[in-house]
Amino acid sequence: MGKVLMKGNEAIGEAAIRAGCLNYFAYPITPQSEVAEYLSRRLPEAGGVFLQGESEVAVSYMILGAAAVGERVFTTSSSPGISLMSEGISYMVGMELPAVFVNIMRGGPGLGGILPSQADYLQATKGIGHGDCRLLALAPASVQEAAEMVMMAFPLAEKYKNPVIVLGDGLIGQMMEPVEFPDHLATEPPNKDDWAVNGMDTRNSSRRNLLRSLYLDPEVLNQHNLNLRQKYERMKKEEIRFEAYNTETDYKALIVSYGTMSRVCRTAIDQLKAQGLEVGMIRPQTVFPFPEGAIEEAAEKESCEAVASIEMSMGQMVEDVQRSVKGKRPVSWFGKCGGEVPTPEEVIEFVKTIV
Amino acid sequence: MKTKSIQLEGIVIIAGNYGSGKTEISINLAIDRKNAGVAVRVADLDLVNPYFRTREARQLLSKLGIELALPPDELLQADLPILSPLISGMIRQPGQLALIDVGGDDAGATVLATLADAFAGRDYQMLQVVNPLRPNSDTISGCLNIRNEIEAAAKMTISGIVGNANLIDETTPEDIIRGYDFVKQLSDESGLPLHFITASVALLPEINLNRIACPVLAIRRQLVPPWKKADKI
Repeated sequence: MGKVLMKGNEAIGEAAIRAGCLNYFAYPITPQSEVAEYLSRRLPEAGGVFLQGESEVAVSYMILGAAAVGERVFTTSSSPGISLMSEGISYMVGMELPAVFVNIMRGGPGLGGILPSQADYLQATKGIGHGDCRLLALAPASVQEAAEMVMMAFPLAEKYKNPVIVLGDGLIGQMMEPVEFPDHLATEPPNKDDWAVNGMDTRNSSRRNLLRSLYLDPEVLNQHNLNLRQKYERMKKEEIRFEAYNTETDYKALIVSYGTMSRVCRTAIDQLKAQGLEVGMIRPQTVFPFPEGAIEEAAEKESCEAVASIEMSMGQMVEDVQRSVKGKRPVSWFGKCGGEVPTPEEVIEFVKTIV
Repeated sequence: MKTKSIQLEGIVIIAGNYGSGKTEISINLAIDRKNAGVAVRVADLDLVNPYFRTREARQLLSKLGIELALPPDELLQADLPILSPLISGMIRQPGQLALIDVGGDDAGATVLATLADAFAGRDYQMLQVVNPLRPNSDTISGCLNIRNEIEAAAKMTISGIVGNANLIDETTPEDIIRGYDFVKQLSDESGLPLHFITASVALLPEINLNRIACPVLAIRRQLVPPWKKADKI
């Protein structure tokens, strides 16, 4: 298959199939409904199943059930829908089940609006569910990267026996770009017989598997959470991904930005360069784990006077940026959160105020 | 070499599968015809797409004197299937050229059936936009399928084809020629005339126009993401 022109939402659906995921449960919501539209046609051709749940709460437990029997499974939703799934996600973290959740973020809080947003950053990285609950969170900036991250999310979820979230803003779902898929599935699903409740007659073991998130004994629950913590710590060691842009120069300011917002910043950086002002950028591709070390190191560069977190929210990632920079440089926030994406000109104007 | 002129008048409905490029074509076709001295009106009938709709180009179109039928301002960003009464008015009095940009696939074309009363007894042309570099319209049978689905949902008949082969910024001259050959074949097999193909204004000088028997609409891209500038009109 050569390059094709796809909407982000379609590419996300196709990527899941190519990652060997044939189970998709979802409930429609703008701006990601095209994933369901696409897969309702495409999944049956590929031998898979699409079932629309009666609500996002129901969907989250369909995902839990399919994951519990060892199937590759995923869902897509947008902000309010992810909030409804939050209970099921927490249960899955507690039960150590792999699955992929895609959030194509829209404005909030509440129903908010249908235009692009990145205001679910804190939810995705710190508050996705009750309890000591974390998800590995991947943040694509293009349709191609959205497809690649969805494909990579399944083996990552299986590696950690933990759900993975792909966090895209509305533009990632709605815009069209050329995309190319690898022909074959990169990773075969691993054998899940040692934990999945996949039926005694299908495996060579007499051990009964039990999946649960209820631990009434405080010592056992404490140990369980310590085990989960170990997984989160391992993610921090092994899964941090980021992209540096224009950081080989003696930049006067450092931008931290992710998703489509980072592409606006890239245009702004190119224009500023033409005006004689160098600005570097670190683009987190994982927002949990967060590329703290890379940001600290980039901020420490002698030429760098200030750091800015530029995001489509009222200032959420900026908390992680401040934490990473450790007070070594001033950190400020710039962004919008009504659905309008800041323009390159607005970014340029802001950057000039901090250097 | 100058390309042949596009001949279209009356009611022209722009249909096709999701993401085939209907809106970009509607905007550029409206401007092309306006520049040729034709009085043009455009209706945004896309009830299925939340972003990248004709309404995003409303300021440009109205500045050029192209009349645009849209839902009222306060409902422009509503996620609701709003059908402005202006649209049935436009169908009843299309003037020289009334372009109707509908949403993608059969889902997007369904709205046309609800306008059956306005269309009753009137001549119209419905064009199917085809980008062979999109999934589902990369084969002749796929395009014929989409045609049948749109016709069934709209309860109207497709009367012509528009070729819109592109990978946006990554389109090559070869893509345009291969795309032309594809829609030519689709035209031969379906019996539907090929009205025109498109090529971005930047790519046009690199294309051997002697190879192309139909008009070529130069596309100045207007529906761009926020980090890109729309082409100058």
